[in-house]
Amino acid sequence: MEVYCVKIGMLMEIDYCVAMNEGLPCQDFIRCWGKRMDVVAFLEERFSQEELKKAFCSRPKSRMERIIDTLNMTKKHG
Amino acid sequence: MKKILLSEKDMPRAWYNIQADLPNPLPPPLNPATGEPITPDMLASIFPMNLIEQEVSPERWVEIPEEVMEKLLMWRPTPLYRAYNLERFLNTPARIYFKNEGTSPPGSHKPNTAIPQAYYNREFGTKRLTTETGAGQWGSALSFACNQFGLELKIYMVRVSYNQKPYRKIMMEVWGGKCVPSPSGDTNAGRKYYEQNPEHPGSLGIAISEAIEDAVTSKDTKYSLGSVLNHVLMHQTIIGLEAQKQLETIGEYPDIVIGCAGGGSNFAGISFPFVRDKIHGREVRIVACEPASCPTMTKGPYVYDFGDTAETTPLLPMHSIGHAFVPAPIHAGGLRYHGMAPLVSRVLVDGLIEARAYNQLETFEAGLIFARTEGFIPAPETDHAIACVIEEAKRAKEEGKERVILVNWSGHGIIDLAAYDAYLSGRLEDSTLPKEELERLIKNLEKFPRPR
Repeated sequence: MEVYCVKIGMLMEIDYCVAMNEGLPCQDFIRCWGKRMDVVAFLEERFSQEELKKAFCSRPKSRMERIIDTLNMTKKHG
Repeated sequence: MKKILLSEKDMPRAWYNIQADLPNPLPPPLNPATGEPITPDMLASIFPMNLIEQEVSPERWVEIPEEVMEKLLMWRPTPLYRAYNLERFLNTPARIYFKNEGTSPPGSHKPNTAIPQAYYNREFGTKRLTTETGAGQWGSALSFACNQFGLELKIYMVRVSYNQKPYRKIMMEVWGGKCVPSPSGDTNAGRKYYEQNPEHPGSLGIAISEAIEDAVTSKDTKYSLGSVLNHVLMHQTIIGLEAQKQLETIGEYPDIVIGCAGGGSNFAGISFPFVRDKIHGREVRIVACEPASCPTMTKGPYVYDFGDTAETTPLLPMHSIGHAFVPAPIHAGGLRYHGMAPLVSRVLVDGLIEARAYNQLETFEAGLIFARTEGFIPAPETDHAIACVIEEAKRAKEEGKERVILVNWSGHGIIDLAAYDAYLSGRLEDSTLPKEELERLIKNLEKFPRPR
């Protein structure tokens, strides 16, 4: 069973969505899979509260913020 | 008349910059590290100054350079079709027109900005471009454009897509672009993941980091982006400007303008010239369509709420707009929608457009109806707009109104047939995921190292 991923632009399976964020779920995981399963139970079974906070409690970055973040990082590491 | 064609001499000679007409100007993007506005100087290491000037330009019309016109003429002006067969199938009094952007060499609207970006880079002295691509639409469009202007191109393609979508990669290579799977071993950003696991499936975030690092650290190299930015949306307005002229030749004006919205560029392309009319008093409804599975515009950002300050209650998924938990920056400078172009977010917040969400199954069903009436197979994202067209055409029938509907048919789906196969074979059910299926999929997780 697959879902159309608006970020990548193609159909993706759940194993990608649940771990693509450095081993943590995609920030859109709940939205994309919420109708098909009990996402809260599913996530809590696999991740600690700390991991879930890390995955979901930060504000999603806009594309420009991501670009500037990367620029800052690249400059910092020379 | 089935096809409304515009002669080459009548092709628009300037792009429309909506920033000149916005009732509320766009707030500048902020540097996340400092909270200060991002200055043109900061962007100069990745974009050429002539494109940065366009990004911040207040000019209403920006002339299209002659050399860009010559390249756009390879497939533009694109035809506007009257969808007679779809109208008959729906038995609707609505008159449906679709602007076929699938006629470009890569098969989508994307080269409308890839061509000018390659041109301005070459004029600036850039020899090489880098970019990232998800499923490959943007990568193939930019590869085509770089080939036309003699630029080298390196594309970081999310590995999971690189492995599953070989035809897009081949397109990029046919036009001379170098396409590598991301994470790659070529950058610090990629090596971090690649050395842990050479089969790491990647993400768009990693691919963006790789492309930017490459641009900043390589000689005569800049970075190119196919959505979100103001100048990208401006380059796409040629779609709506042509459509206005085409409709004028047959004495029509749309009651409703429809486009699908992922990053916002094709939607902006068809709609911004009509948003301008609306700002100046014309009556027209403009609808952006998005997936119900990821409704950033219709439902806002989504965050986990820990329920109370002690963070002891179970996790509750919730839509965040209007809720006290929402971090302050989301509200700063007006609402912004995750992944959406700031200009599209702005016109949505200002009430100039509306947003609607469609379920996965109804979009593919709409795509199939379209393919079986009008013949052309739409790209899966285009299916969202077609679902909206069908909804509006049915409404016109119920209300007995002869509405004129204009839709941007943003690209063909010939290279996305796997998605239609998934739909036709029942793998896209919106129903509950069976336990066995879930367990089978979760077994694949070993390929993602957990954070230490």
